[in-house]
Amino acid sequence: MTNEPCKMVHVRDKKTIILHWFNAFCWLVLIITGFGIISGDAVRLMPAFWPEFMQWLFGGNYNLILGHAIGGITWMIVFLLFSLLNFKDVVFPFLKEVFVLTPMAAMRDAWSMTITLAHLFGLMKDIPVPPQGRYNGAQRLLGTMIIFCSLSIAGSGFYLFFGPQCLNFGDNAMYGILFRWALVVHASSVFLVIVGLVAHIYFAVVEERECLEAMKSGDISVDFVKHHNTLWYEQLKKDGKV
Amino acid sequence: MTKHYVMLADTTRCINCKACVVACRAEWETPLGFSRDWVKEVELEKADGTPQVMLFPGRCQHCDDAPCIESCPSGAAFKREDGMVLQDNCICSGCELCVPACPYEARWLNPETSKINKCTYCQPRIDEGLAPACVLTCVGRALIFGDKNDPESEVSRLLNDKDKKWERLTTDTVNIGPNHYYYTDGVALPDEVMPKQPEKHIANKVLENVVNPVGALGVGGMLATFIGAGLMKLMSRRNEVNTDNNQEEK
Repeated sequence: MTNEPCKMVHVRDKKTIILHWFNAFCWLVLIITGFGIISGDAVRLMPAFWPEFMQWLFGGNYNLILGHAIGGITWMIVFLLFSLLNFKDVVFPFLKEVFVLTPMAAMRDAWSMTITLAHLFGLMKDIPVPPQGRYNGAQRLLGTMIIFCSLSIAGSGFYLFFGPQCLNFGDNAMYGILFRWALVVHASSVFLVIVGLVAHIYFAVVEERECLEAMKSGDISVDFVKHHNTLWYEQLKKDGKV
Repeated sequence: MTKHYVMLADTTRCINCKACVVACRAEWETPLGFSRDWVKEVELEKADGTPQVMLFPGRCQHCDDAPCIESCPSGAAFKREDGMVLQDNCICSGCELCVPACPYEARWLNPETSKINKCTYCQPRIDEGLAPACVLTCVGRALIFGDKNDPESEVSRLLNDKDKKWERLTTDTVNIGPNHYYYTDGVALPDEVMPKQPEKHIANKVLENVVNPVGALGVGGMLATFIGAGLMKLMSRRNEVNTDNNQEEK
């Protein structure tokens, strides 16, 4: 047995790591506060105790809405600035890797995701997961969904907060209609993201702890990449990074 | 004991002078064409063929199970302990989800403030110990307001008067505990003043019947799936450790 440390490769810079954890923190705060805002029995997303508790904690729904909006706007501004300042070296390469835009690509990724999920339950053991790039099928599908959902959450949230303040809903019935549908879009996008995050957190915490470590240090073991992301390993080799 | 405010309208005393409407509009400065209260005229034909006009002063009925509160996303519509259904303008977005929910059509969007408007039983006046503006100006003393839980109050005395039958505007399908009573001297309440079935905007229906249940199912399903996967991993790890220990013992 050798005590040789496993070889690591640097794959993520500090600013991306900080952005990831900032994003995670914002999501946590915004989900917790957002579920506390919607109060009416016919429309609320959580059991009644949650809005009651959150509104009590913030000293009323006015403060809770304000806090949620400030959190959401901060999240938007940071992301916008990061995207503008790092478009070429971080954002564009990430989008290029992660976007699933054609039905064929979606089917390919869905198939590799199905095999990965089946393996968790000891099923389809004889079918190997097809070789994956830097992001596997499930990550690509989740990434695409989160990007689109984040855009719709930001847009609808912006209107839900600023619409009633800047527009007179009595002037045009369309303003109210837009508000009501923005509420639907906001809530359904949040649910979609939460569904994806459950899987994301499980894989990071239970199945692939190396990925969680990589999201802290920026380094990942070469063996892990070789085993899980063969196509990426080949690319790293070609680039002389491993 | 907690107060329980109710409004009584004696339709036999109403003369349709609309002083209540004028007082309400002056008190709340409602825009032209809008009012928080109204007097509904219903023309009937008596059994002997002669015509009869009934007058129903109306407003928000401050229901116990108010559907407007259920439909309000921000909690701007709320019920106070003393039974008043109120509207918090600071958090009302003016989305109008509550408007079709009201079976008495008592809610409307104020075009000047962009907020929902409705009768509040003149809550600020009540809190100062004054009567609602409509009650104060009712020339026929048709409107009586007070605390139902106070046995000494006029409303308690009237509601307990066995010779007078006070009724609420409810039907078999819409009975949401209105806190507004009417006296008609035995004449059946006409259909024209009865509550309509509460309605919902399509976005409200989508949120209530599609987004929320599907979202809960999706999140719950994912949680169950990955808790299951985690438990399976834990069990398989435990079996591996046991096997290793057994081999070492051998």
